Order: sequence, then C-alpha cells, then structure tokens
Amino acid sequence: MEEMGTPTVSLVNMGFMNDARSAASSRGWPSLRFVAETVPSECSVAEQIEESLEAVMDDIVAGLSRPLTPEEASPKTKEGGSLSRIVFKGTLKEVNQFFYKRGWGDGLPLIPPTEEAVAEMLTGTDLAPDHLVATIIPRMGKATVERIAINAVMAGALPTYMPVLIAGVKALADPASSFAAWEVSTGSWAPFWVVNGPIRNDLHINSGSGALSPGDIANSAIGRAMGLIVKNIGGARKGVEDMGTFGNPGKYAMVLAENEEECPWEPLHVAEGCTPQENSITVSFPNCLWTLWPTATDEQTLLRTLADGLFPSGAGQTCTSVLLLPAHAKTLASKGWTRESLAEFVNSHARPGVAKDFTSPTDGRGEVRVIVCGGPGSWIVLTKGGKGLTKKIELPLHWDKLVQKYKAIVPTYARY
Amino acid sequence: MAERKELGMAHEVLSPWAEADPIPLKGISPRVPDLAGRRIGLFASNKPAAPRIMDVLERKMKERFPSSEISRYGAEESFLVLQTAGKDRDRFEEWVKSADVIAAAVGD
Repeated sequence: MEEMGTPTVSLVNMGFMNDARSAASSRGWPSLRFVAETVPSECSVAEQIEESLEAVMDDIVAGLSRPLTPEEASPKTKEGGSLSRIVFKGTLKEVNQFFYKRGWGDGLPLIPPTEEAVAEMLTGTDLAPDHLVATIIPRMGKATVERIAINAVMAGALPTYMPVLIAGVKALADPASSFAAWEVSTGSWAPFWVVNGPIRNDLHINSGSGALSPGDIANSAIGRAMGLIVKNIGGARKGVEDMGTFGNPGKYAMVLAENEEECPWEPLHVAEGCTPQENSITVSFPNCLWTLWPTATDEQTLLRTLADGLFPSGAGQTCTSVLLLPAHAKTLASKGWTRESLAEFVNSHARPGVAKDFTSPTDGRGEVRVIVCGGPGSWIVLTKGGKGLTKKIELPLHWDKLVQKYKAIVPTYARY
Repeated sequence: MAERKELGMAHEVLSPWAEADPIPLKGISPRVPDLAGRRIGLFASNKPAAPRIMDVLERKMKERFPSSEISRYGAEESFLVLQTAGKDRDRFEEWVKSADVIAAAVGD
C-alpha cells in the first residue's frame, strides 16, 4: 500500500512487533509505521477489541498524520553488514555460548564448524562450495553449498547427508511447497521429511522401530540441520520471525524413511512421480501427531480405528499423513485397498468441526499420504498440516565410495 | 587427558549466518496534515480478527472525523497472494489508490 503511494499505518499485536519490523526491513521498508496494540490474536471478544483500540486511537491518527522524519523519508543503509569468514575462535564451550548468544543455535550443543569439519562435509557433494542452491525466506538468505555444510556440521550430520540436505533446501525454496505459509506461522508447523529410494539404506535412515524417536544420526541430524538452515540461512528465528505460538518439538527433527521393502504398494515417491530407483525427499508441514490403537488387526477394525481418529481439520490442516505399519498395510492391501482408495476412505470419513466459523472453512477433506513405516506393535499414527512436495535427491559422482567411508557408523547396544 | 585437551582446544569457526543480497531501502509516503475530510481506507486481512478490529475502528474514525469518508477492503485471500498477480490484485490496487490514507490490520 505504501508502494502504491498511499500513507499507511499497520495495527500489530504487541507480541508481533519484532516480527513486523523484521518483515518490513527485510523487504526494504525499514520505516513502515506500526501501531502496537493489545488486541489478543484472533480475538472475537468485542469488549477486548474496543478497549485495546481506544488505547491506541491517538497513535493511529498520528501514524497517518505526523510528518515524516528525514530517516523515514529516505532511509540509509547501515554500514558493516557482512560477517568475516572466521567468525569466532574459542573452546568448544566458548563456541557454543557464542553461537547461542547470536541466536544461531537450537538450544542443544553444536559441533564447531571449523574449516576442517566443513571441508569434510563438502566431500558429500560435487557441487562447488559457492554454488547457490536457493534463497530461503523470509530473509532470502543465500543457501550456498558451503553454508548448508556449515549448518550440517553444527547439527552433527555426516557428509553423506549433504545430497539430502540440498534436496531439502530445494524443496523449501520451491514455491509449490508453500513453505512461506508454514515457516513462520503461529500454527507451529514443523517440516516432516520422508526419504525414499536406495539412499535410505546407504545412510541408515530408520524406517522401523522408533523411527521418529531420537537415536539415529541420520534421522536426527538431517532434521536438525534443516532446522538450523531455516534459522541461519532463512532467518526464521523463534519469537522474532517464527511466530509459532506454542512451538513444535518436530522442529528439532521429524525424519524417517519409508519401509519400501515391506510396503505392499508402490513406494511413496513413485506415487509422487519418481521412479523406484530414484531417491527423493518428501516434506509436509504438520502441527500435530496423534496415535491410534486398533483393538484388533483385521481390515474392518483397522478402518474403523482410522475413521474414528479423523478429527476435524483446523486452519491449514489440509494434508493428512497416515503412518501405517507394514503388517497393517499388508492386511489392507490383501483386501484390495490401494493408496488411492485409502486416501478416498480418509476423505469420505472426514468431518467438519462444530467451530466452522473461519475464512477458510473446510469439510475436512484434503490431501492424504500413506507412509509405510514403524516397528513391532499395533498402532496407527496420523499427522495433519500443510502438504508440501517431493523433491528428487541428486547424488555426486563419487557416491558409492563416499557411502563406503561412513556406512559402518551404526550404534551397537550392549545387552544388560 | 585427551578429552580434557580436546575440550580446551581453540576452534576457529565459520559463520552459519547466510548472506543476503542488499535490498534497496524505500522511504514511506508523506503523511496528510490531518484526517478531517479525507478518504480513510480500512484494510482487513483474511484473518478472523481483522474485520472485527476494523468494524470498531470504522466507528471510532467516524466519531472523530465525521467529515471523512470511510471505505473498507476485506481480503479474501492471504496477503501473500495479494502481493502477486492474484485474482483480487486489480480490485485491491483500485481500492488503495482511492484512499488518502489507510489503516491496516494484517496479522493474527
């Protein structure tokens, strides 16, 4: 509106002021005028709106009528914006505290991204370190191969994860993923990554018991690295740009592989358009995960359980992922169920909520993905959120040799 | 001993913070001297609280500036869409240009 020449003032809830200023300055509008008000988010209580607006009426009028300062009329670029290559020198503890204070960490200990460690990480790709993979919103930070590698080192990733991370960056940067809608939303949507193709076994990405629990370097570090990339390259920082109201533990890491070997249907990535031998990463953006327990494992009980578990979708919850154990998938497949018919089943049992008063009302129907995974047991897991997309993973020419170098890094659990 | 040495070792580290191309900075539009007799636009995003806020603001603006003309715009799509060539883009532009000043409710 300012760009069209009309003086504008924006009313912003006080809790979003940092977000508003960051968004404005990142787009070249550092002097946009905001009025900080106290109307609670999504407020529908008339008295609260009345009271909050009355308190800021003078500010609104002033925002539209007070003459501009010279800085508002013609803002100047601040000096000294770029960082030197070596940004700090210190012990492990000092590096961690330095990074934490800069807001570059995620609250857990970081591996120092030294020249040596980053050089090793860069062996995971044959792309040049200065190759620009994409820019990531909201800051439009440049995700060069080296910057991805730096964040990967911090997360504890192995070099063999680089192709996955590069594909992950491409996925987030693709407008079709609608990442812009999910990344910074109050809805606390976390990227949920599913890996398909032979790379799953090369990297030991867990598709079985506890795949979504901590304990596997690949599952943990891939997710964690992507989170650091979103933060340090994209510039989405908690409470400043990332306005997730409660946050989401999935933002640490929510990664698994599909169990293609036990899947009775074509793998997920084939259903999404890849060939079986291709590697891919599929991202969605759920903000909830819930677990259902079928009281029996026959077809009808599984389907009834699934139908019972389909609670009404809220805003943004347009894609349901159904995490199905291999045994359950085989039971359903033996009765003629396919990915498509299961998706239609889910949609046919979707139901609108009682509180349907919203600008994007939904009857509960949406996209459905079925992912075959999980360990011994008899549960069904559902997630709901943004759909995302599937991206192919490209491998470097020296891939086989690289995999051999790191393939033996697997945990061994002592009996007790 | 080796572990203690490792913990005390100095690490020179690279920055994880990405560079971004500098964006040309833009100044905002000159203000009007007062709102009396002006065309005041009230913009509400597609979030549920925005139109409710603008309902209250419209009433208060009318009370303060009875000679001013108030117009409303309610976004039917997200603001991201309005920034591109969405189907409401023309309607939005026409409305913005018809106002002397705008107060906007855009967030949650």
